[in-house]
Amino acid sequence: MIKKALVALSAFTLISTTLSGCAGGSVDGHDELHFSDGWVRVSEFSDHVDGMTGAFATIENHTDHDVTLVGGSAEIAKMVEVHEVVMMDGEMKMQAKDGGILIKAGESVTLEPGGLHVMLMGLKEAILEGDEVTLTLDFDGYDDQTFTWPAKASLSGDEKYEPKK
Amino acid sequence: MTNFTRRGFLAGASASAGALVGASAGALIAGQQVASAAEVAAQTAVLKRSEKFHGSHQNGIELELQTFTNFVSLEIHADTDRSAMQRWMKLLTDDIERLTAGEPILADAQPQLALGPARLTVTVGFGPSLFKKLGLEAQQPESLSELPAFKVDALREEFSGGDVLLHVSADDPIVLSHAVRSLISDSLAFASVRWTQQGFSNAQGVVPSGVRQRNLMGQVDGTDNPQFGTDDFKNLVWIDEGPEWIRGGTILVLRRIAMQLNTWDKLGRTDKEQVIGRRLDNGAPLGQKNETDPLDLNAVDERGLKVIPNFAHVRRASPTNPKERFFRRPFNYEVGTAADGTPDVGLLWTAYQKNPAEQYIPVQKRLDDFDLLSKWTSPIGSSVWGIAHGVKKGNVLADDLF
Repeated sequence: MIKKALVALSAFTLISTTLSGCAGGSVDGHDELHFSDGWVRVSEFSDHVDGMTGAFATIENHTDHDVTLVGGSAEIAKMVEVHEVVMMDGEMKMQAKDGGILIKAGESVTLEPGGLHVMLMGLKEAILEGDEVTLTLDFDGYDDQTFTWPAKASLSGDEKYEPKK
Repeated sequence: MTNFTRRGFLAGASASAGALVGASAGALIAGQQVASAAEVAAQTAVLKRSEKFHGSHQNGIELELQTFTNFVSLEIHADTDRSAMQRWMKLLTDDIERLTAGEPILADAQPQLALGPARLTVTVGFGPSLFKKLGLEAQQPESLSELPAFKVDALREEFSGGDVLLHVSADDPIVLSHAVRSLISDSLAFASVRWTQQGFSNAQGVVPSGVRQRNLMGQVDGTDNPQFGTDDFKNLVWIDEGPEWIRGGTILVLRRIAMQLNTWDKLGRTDKEQVIGRRLDNGAPLGQKNETDPLDLNAVDERGLKVIPNFAHVRRASPTNPKERFFRRPFNYEVGTAADGTPDVGLLWTAYQKNPAEQYIPVQKRLDDFDLLSKWTSPIGSSVWGIAHGVKKGNVLADDLF
């Protein structure tokens, strides 16, 4: 999805370079991962103990090497996994992503409902709108990172959970 | 070029759209005519202007009028308590930071509509009814209470009252629509919508700066306001005592004032000017030249008659002591037209002040006793809001209230 954005932007550079600077303000460092727009989803699956939910963000790899998001942990969840959504038997289903999520050097990945995401399972308490959820993401090729992200509802992403057999 | 951000993509997308609009004037690249960067910048100047969110006061008050506005009144759910209010305000704070920067909210269902800032502001206020519901009576300023009933009132429930106000304004109607939708989406876990009231002023580039516009009776509206950045404004509007959350805030009285234009338009220009006490062409007081000339309430004409009649609106509304002033930031509304041609139009009239009991209410009582203008106008909605002080970066709206 971000690749499309990059393509659109490069088409635009033919027209003008004045708007093509790094507008986000978060792209000034080097040799780092940049995390933005992190949030945790509130739904009927997350409003009770033992429920589950997804965490989403955009991760930009400004290092010179590939980095893999392999998993994570959170006080509020018994288990945190890296998931993907795939078409299975004609339905969108999510499952643990083998080998984690690869973020190549110089590229970025957006975790979003209906796509790649971090799954929090076995919630120890309900997650309500406006709550702040602290979770740690584990990487291969980069230090583990801890975040506090807001929880909010979202309409998108109608996938079903399919545990790996 | 490295540009990973969604915002960068949006900037590119809107610039591309601008390029299409300006195609005839631009250069030919890859078989398509496109506008130059300068042309794109000029064509999207209104979109690119932004207003700050952080500061000691909330924005959207001491500010030139935006073109479009929406007042959203919400009623909290029975199970919304103080901790839920805190969670709500956290979401809104993050949303407003992003929307005023022209960016989508987190988990935005329609990020494509966050075209740019377009001077968007969101001002958050709390109605008197909220404090009892949350057991926060000790935090309710004395200046924040329901208005007394006025004889002229023809108030309707669907335009009156409410627990929480989100006042959203912008220079672009699509930017405004997206912001309002986003803010309401993030509010529904805590509250339901009681009413919304949409309004407009002049488009950007139509009138010189200054908070005034043409209302739909044809009058220049907003004359004689305190000037921005002056001690006069500060002393009339920004509260400096009482509960912490309102210090740096203000009290907003919002009145929906319907206009009977069919009968109003049967009056000639002279009669219309006598009813108001000002000239229609430029808003100058009768007997004076310019809009900003002072009212001379004692002036008489060659026949010995008062130049500004006793029944004139400006005479009745004129302060009898220096305290009886406030800041008005009026928008028009137009909802539709009946089969007989009667338009459903009027004003979303606002008064910002430290204390309505000393500022707005004495003036309104005088107008309630006698104001010829009320033959053609009637208040059909009314609400009062305590506007919390501004938000410092890293803080949450009204964090010292809930």
